[in-house]
Amino acid sequence: MLRIVHLIDDTNPGGVTRYLDFIAADAAMARLATHVVVPVSRTRPATAPIEADVIVSHLTVSWRGLPGLMLLRARFPNTPLVHVEHSYCAGFAAARVTAPGRFQTLLRCAYALFDRVVAVSAAQADWLVRRGLVAPSVLEMIRPCVALDAFRALPVPGGSVRTIGAIGRFDQQKGFDLLIRAFRAVSDPDLRLQLIGDGPERAALETLAAGDPRISLPGFAADPAMAMSGCDLVAMPSRWEPYGLIALEAMAARRPLLVANVDGLKDHIANGAVAVEEMTVEAWASAIVRARAGMRMPATDMSAEAACVDGWARLVADLLDRATEADVARRTGRAEVGLA
Amino acid sequence: MPKTSIIVPAYNVADTIAETLDSLRAQTFTDFEIIVVDDGSTDRTVAIARSLGDPRIRIVQQPNRGLAGARNSGIAAARGEYIGFCDADDLWRPAKLAAHVTHLDANPGVGLSFSGSEMIDERGRPTGLSQRPRLTGITAAHVFCRNPVGNGSAPVLRRAALDDLAWRPAGETHRDWWFDETFRQSEDIECWLRFALMTDWQIEGVPGLLTRYRIVAGGLSAATVRQFAAWERMVDKLSPCAPEFMARHAPAARAYQLRYLARRAVVSGNGPEALARIRAALSASFRPLWEEPAKTITTLAAAVALTACGPKPLTALRRLAARRA
Repeated sequence: MLRIVHLIDDTNPGGVTRYLDFIAADAAMARLATHVVVPVSRTRPATAPIEADVIVSHLTVSWRGLPGLMLLRARFPNTPLVHVEHSYCAGFAAARVTAPGRFQTLLRCAYALFDRVVAVSAAQADWLVRRGLVAPSVLEMIRPCVALDAFRALPVPGGSVRTIGAIGRFDQQKGFDLLIRAFRAVSDPDLRLQLIGDGPERAALETLAAGDPRISLPGFAADPAMAMSGCDLVAMPSRWEPYGLIALEAMAARRPLLVANVDGLKDHIANGAVAVEEMTVEAWASAIVRARAGMRMPATDMSAEAACVDGWARLVADLLDRATEADVARRTGRAEVGLA
Repeated sequence: MPKTSIIVPAYNVADTIAETLDSLRAQTFTDFEIIVVDDGSTDRTVAIARSLGDPRIRIVQQPNRGLAGARNSGIAAARGEYIGFCDADDLWRPAKLAAHVTHLDANPGVGLSFSGSEMIDERGRPTGLSQRPRLTGITAAHVFCRNPVGNGSAPVLRRAALDDLAWRPAGETHRDWWFDETFRQSEDIECWLRFALMTDWQIEGVPGLLTRYRIVAGGLSAATVRQFAAWERMVDKLSPCAPEFMARHAPAARAYQLRYLARRAVVSGNGPEALARIRAALSASFRPLWEEPAKTITTLAAAVALTACGPKPLTALRRLAARRA
């Protein structure tokens, strides 16, 4: 059986961890290969004991981590190496990068070490190519997934939208501060806003929400489907978002979904999420008012799990074909030398 | 399909549009179209543009929507890979378009290419003043505090970069917005700052004073009050996009904006307003004082001199400066 080792450097609950839970537990993924998830140090991934036919990095690329990636390549010169880019996208670069030249150099150097780079959304893939960070020939696009059955099983909320949910880490990235401001600008006493999660911005968000009894911050939810069950609508006002798994879950649960028109969230707009075009309080407030008045539910079932598994199957088949060709070429080459 | 489009928003500019269009038709880089957006003019603006009989000039007409609305209609009609703007009272030096095309061709990460500007008066004569901004290493903070792009006739943008800014506001059925049409002032800086904050395209300048930017004297005090209000509205609007950035840089940016308004007041001979503005600038932040001490102190001195002695000494000085230039 084919053995794929997935390297991760962040085991905190979050999108990457949940994606890997899916990869490790999904039956169709298991038919493709044995998946082993190995937590490693971001700076020294090559020091972990790894035995694999394919190695997949889910690591965050950084200057400090670059030598470690080089060592990984050096230790496994003939094993196909794949990198999944979970962290970076155009919106990240706009919001967080002050030296774009240096940043792009880092990514080009890091990606050059891999046989394949996997984008997590079409929007991110476009960005990687447009900025010349990845050659189209080594770029794949596989949208991440989680087990969605628990979300599909949730009862569809009836009646009008009452509770707006925002789920995720309390970080500037997620734009929950903007959501609170916009929500407070809508005076409807029957509306509720639930911010489900935790993180460094908690105190700031609590301050913003103070004095409005309609807003609650119930804390981190270990069971995401349970958290979703209390929401009639899901809002994702992210400032950047390589993909946004919450959107997938919201649509599987047939919750109407408002998203910022950035990065990977654009992929979800194509599947029925409603774009809020501007990152302004007014735009989000009027989106909430419109949603309250009635919003269509995404009716699609995208069978996202199958699409994800197909993506990996294609990638692995392609990599191993090439690996075999290379082996053959090497052997033939040796034979020719022997004959000479 | 032309490689470049030059958008000329035009509202009752019969006096200047011929000269503006002549300066564009004289560009050394010739693969362009000119889109004159007639923003509801009631004078001979359109007749003059038509009378040139140049097939490269296209005319788009609309009821008045303001400068931002005119530029947006121009962008919607533009077919070029690169899109430049020239307001219908400004002029381009013949080599301007060529310089930006070379720059954008060579730097695929640059989304907005700009140049410095020479200030001219109503009759097209140099005033001795110029905008010589920093050209490279430009961050959102520079855009916010110093607006290196300078004016609406300075930049040439990549179409792909502009489209990363596009949105369709609720109620707009006709076309997208790139500039925010709810702004009647500060629409330029709002767009450039949003560009810097929300996209990862670089903003970079090319050397030379390639735009000739017309300053019309007699700036009304009421206009600067409105301009500052629009600028503050931009800060309010963009703060949710980048709250940390805004909190860190808004005081200094406000000080620079007030200093700019003080200088405008000096130019239009209004000493008390100049003095009030530069004092407000210094109370907002000392950064202009230590980042650009000479310019800040000169502004303060000019405001004081103008208030104390009236406009004569400054007029004499300016005439000297114009002669030197």
